Amino acid sequence: MLQRERIPLQLIFLQAALVVAWCFTDVETGPGAGVSTQPNGDRFKIEGRAIVPGIKTQDWVSTARVLVEGEEYVGFLRTDGSFAVNDVPSGSYVVEVVTPTYRFEPVRVDITTKGKMRARLVNYIKTSEVIRQPYPLQIRASGPHSYFMKRETWGWTDFLMNPMKDVYSTKKMMLVMMMVLPLLIIVLLPKVVNTNDPEMRKEMEQSMNMLNPNPELPDVSELMTKLFSGSKGSSKAGSSSKGTRPAAKRR
Amino acid sequence: MAKLILLWLKCVVLWAIVEAVFEDQVGKFDWRQQYVGKVRFSHFDTHVQSSKKVLVATERNVFAALNTRTGELFWRHVDKTGSEGNIDALLQHGQDAVLVVGNGRLLRSWEINVGGLNWEVVLDSGSFQSACLVGQQDMVKHVAVLKKTAISVHYLSNGHQKWIENLPETETVDYQAVYSDGNGEVYVLGVVPHSHIAIVVYSMEDGEIIKQVNMSVEAPWLYNIQASCVVVGQGMLTCVDSAGVSFYMLDLHLQLQMTQVPLQSLALEVDPGFHPVLLSHQPNPARQPLSEFFLQLGPDHYQLLQLNNGQIAAMRDFKPSGFFGKQCYKIILEIQVKIVNLFSAETGRRLLDTTLINLRKFNSVFQLYVQAFLKKDDSVGYRAMVQTEDHTLTFIQQPGRVMWTREEALSDVVTMEMVDLPLTGTQAELEGEFGKKADGLMSMVMKRLSSQLILLQAWIGHLWKLFYDARKPRSQVKNDVTIENLSRDEFNLQKMMVMVTASGKLFGIDSKTGGILWRHYLHNVPPNAAFKLMVQRTTAHFPHPPQCTLLIKDKDTGLGTLHVFNPIFGKKSHVTPPALPQPILQSLMLPLMDQDYAKVLLLVDDQYKVSAFPSTKNVLQQLQEMAASIFFYLVDSSQGRLSGYRLRTDLSTEQIWEVIIPPEVQKIVSVKGKRPNEHVHSQGRVMGDRSVLYKYLNPNLLAVVTESTDLHQERSFIGILLIDGVTGRIIHEAIQRKARGPVHVVHSENWVVYEYWSTKSRRNEFSVIELYEGMELYNSTVFSSLDRPHAPQVLQQSYIFPSSISTMEATLTEKGITSRHLLIGLPSGGILSLPKMFLDPRRPEIVSEQSREENLIPYAPELLIRTEWFINYNQTVSRVRGIYTAPSGLESTCLVVAYGLDIYQTRVYPSKQFDVLKDDYDYMLISSVLFALFFATMISKRLAEVKLLNRAWR
Repeated sequence: MLQRERIPLQLIFLQAALVVAWCFTDVETGPGAGVSTQPNGDRFKIEGRAIVPGIKTQDWVSTARVLVEGEEYVGFLRTDGSFAVNDVPSGSYVVEVVTPTYRFEPVRVDITTKGKMRARLVNYIKTSEVIRQPYPLQIRASGPHSYFMKRETWGWTDFLMNPMKDVYSTKKMMLVMMMVLPLLIIVLLPKVVNTNDPEMRKEMEQSMNMLNPNPELPDVSELMTKLFSGSKGSSKAGSSSKGTRPAAKRR
Repeated sequence: MAKLILLWLKCVVLWAIVEAVFEDQVGKFDWRQQYVGKVRFSHFDTHVQSSKKVLVATERNVFAALNTRTGELFWRHVDKTGSEGNIDALLQHGQDAVLVVGNGRLLRSWEINVGGLNWEVVLDSGSFQSACLVGQQDMVKHVAVLKKTAISVHYLSNGHQKWIENLPETETVDYQAVYSDGNGEVYVLGVVPHSHIAIVVYSMEDGEIIKQVNMSVEAPWLYNIQASCVVVGQGMLTCVDSAGVSFYMLDLHLQLQMTQVPLQSLALEVDPGFHPVLLSHQPNPARQPLSEFFLQLGPDHYQLLQLNNGQIAAMRDFKPSGFFGKQCYKIILEIQVKIVNLFSAETGRRLLDTTLINLRKFNSVFQLYVQAFLKKDDSVGYRAMVQTEDHTLTFIQQPGRVMWTREEALSDVVTMEMVDLPLTGTQAELEGEFGKKADGLMSMVMKRLSSQLILLQAWIGHLWKLFYDARKPRSQVKNDVTIENLSRDEFNLQKMMVMVTASGKLFGIDSKTGGILWRHYLHNVPPNAAFKLMVQRTTAHFPHPPQCTLLIKDKDTGLGTLHVFNPIFGKKSHVTPPALPQPILQSLMLPLMDQDYAKVLLLVDDQYKVSAFPSTKNVLQQLQEMAASIFFYLVDSSQGRLSGYRLRTDLSTEQIWEVIIPPEVQKIVSVKGKRPNEHVHSQGRVMGDRSVLYKYLNPNLLAVVTESTDLHQERSFIGILLIDGVTGRIIHEAIQRKARGPVHVVHSENWVVYEYWSTKSRRNEFSVIELYEGMELYNSTVFSSLDRPHAPQVLQQSYIFPSSISTMEATLTEKGITSRHLLIGLPSGGILSLPKMFLDPRRPEIVSEQSREENLIPYAPELLIRTEWFINYNQTVSRVRGIYTAPSGLESTCLVVAYGLDIYQTRVYPSKQFDVLKDDYDYMLISSVLFALFFATMISKRLAEVKLLNRAWR
């Protein structure tokens, strides 16, 4: 959504002012505009076909409906996937095939007072933009709806391959770091660096603080983390003091 | 504090973006019930012996196939509401079902196995009269549709019109029925009221008129053929005249004269004041009807008659204390209170008696659909679907077993409330301990010990049950919820849903399972009644029972009645509500309570007199004290008048303000206040520069929506007025030009969100208005409408929404800390949970450092519909009419019920579950880390000791 192109307001107004005129001039001259098969007084018929690739129509047509401009006009799908919405007066409508399982893109259908039809892509921002679609409508499902979020599964491989993927894996990684780091610190640090150096100690403390994620979150798991990091911190402090004392003695 | 809010906001941003349902949560705390509505036509699918379908066409414009074993839906097609989707007739042949829809506008044929459409044709205009299948030589290939002025015949295979003929003399003759019995002729029966019968016979082949009879058959008593005539046997038109108390018979093939047979000659007597009705049965449209038929003589009195060589003979009298009989093939089924009897139609002999088992009391039956069949051993069997007055469908199968019941009244829920469940006996015991005082120290200690013991006992019992259940396979563990074992859970997530339906039937539904725990049918509810449900006393005031009050108001007369009941058990309360002799204009619940903790309900009648319920002395005294601060408003949309009143101490009222919205220019569509149980946690918003922008939280604010009466797309507009309900001060006014309704409004906290149709751009748009006091709060402790000198700052922004909407509501939580979402019911059946964050008038066009600090999303004109935000995933809710939200005991959780044709219940977590462990919480990881840390400290301690020792040795 953030990437969507933004148009200056004035331009919208300008274009909107042109909508009416444009619609009527363009429709008359448009090449694909066919005459409605059954002009019924001043009521017309929107026809088309919905296709779900690779799925038999019997398996999904009974749950599908064709909605024209919300629920203003309703059509049903035939057993072969084709549909016709009868009794629609002239105007411009958004036609949508709705099923709980498959996703269909909506199409805008314009009907002139003479019953000429054309279909175009729905664009709510540039309402007058015309990108032609075939009429009678051919609406192809773009796949099943995705309703669910994937559970974050976590394995050792994730840790190795892509540790900072998102908030959750980061959180978990920190737990692991907490487990491994102290060991490293206890075992290696006294050997590698001089812990008596005050600057070094300061730096260490800082790095420990960094490990401690947002302390004020109202989240239990976070609280746990904090708890652990706290206990570990003290244990580390204890052990490091143990480690340093003899060194001091030695001096 | 400010920092905390900011931080918290940040988290919300992160969370809201990823908010969705997990796949393994499906059905865990949500459920859906699908309904079809009150059945108008029904057919058993008989073309295959083993078929389990029963087709129903309902008054809610739904055509569906039900499973006869379980009562579930095979498929369902929901047409437009209103007269355009109205189902006029249902005819079934083989695996095709033909429907006439929209007063004869459309003819549709459905394939009933798959539930797909075969064909749909538009018929010529003209009001629909009757339709029938036309057979020829034992083959049914056509359907005939009779309109007021024309008759048309269509092929069953593709819907094409075979022929259409205008009816003769339509100015005088009122054609009402069409009949065919397979001899290649179609009979159109009409009547000239109070004069004679007209019959036109068409040839099936080409629509030529074979014979036309007019004037000769006198029938001055007849005005409605469908109501008083049937065709029996070999084309014998048989009518019953209620005034003359006699039969009239006319041979359709000869059309000579009507022969009169007085009912007395058959020793029949009609119940006084009852209009006798004839019932016949034509099993196959290509054959003649049966010669046995029913005459209904009284509400539950039937007479079986037989037509034999032009003579009517009485066969059997069905006048038990029973109910209803119906003929199917050659079998008659009679349902009595507890007995189902089968009779042979030819002889009137009783074939089979069965007793109904486990049936709840029937309310009076008004429709019965029967299928009788021969079993393999040549004995008869039956299946019957009974629809009772309260819109309950009951399916009975031999031997008298009730297979299922469906409460179709729930397809039309008008209003609902969620009531906390009561505490259990043990919990109540504990609570009761605190209620009493001055018992002495020792007895108090003893009481405390005993109640703790009871708790321990209950806990052990619970553990034992858990252990016991764990050994059984999961499918066998049933947690049957009954009224007896209902109790509040620890987070108050399970509640009692009290639902009021348009038919006047009340339901108590367990929100966890969706099971109906009680039902109560209110008789004498006017058909166009308006309902208002109020909770007067919650379950919190043990031992006083909870109390709900339903105000039923007849929309025509304005007269109201009150029904007071216990929402947990559904029983009518012993409290007698006051009679309301005057039309009621307004009702309001006050936060005042009487000595029994029941909130006071005020009713304002058309004389502007106020009556209170309950109206004890205590209440009246409180009212007198409080009168000066009780204000209310009245809306008269026909005159465009909004007026505010104040209560006087003598319970009369005085008008203090009035706003007139000229009704010839615009009309008031809706007036929305805030929900009284809403809490707002934070008084203001922290800005990027660490200053605070205070919200304008006026609890008396009303959002008034108006629509222009001029519907021309250039001149139509909608208006929104924010009025203080106490002073009548107009806080803000906004006009949306080139826009029209329907407008959906949500009013909460310091914002109003509304949705409308923009006629200019032909799209739906959302607009949000937010009110702020500014950087300083005038009076931070209490809000008074009478003392707010500064007008609030108003911010507004609009967005494009890529779908129309059916209804809209905001989430509600216990303390209002959780961020808000808007729940939007879409026509596609999805319920979208849209974070309020997207509807924020402070969304900047150009991103600055400060707006980033504040976590404002940059403005984008279009709001997106993401299917991940559908709280009901693929469980679509048809025709969502309302969404009800209720807080739970957990701050993070909001309970949601969407109702319309279907009912869907779920929980939403607008800021995720921050106060409980998530269900994907990684116990393994956390415990392994814990153990690893523990062992690491052990080992390192040991290592350190060894090292120390070694050093000491050195």
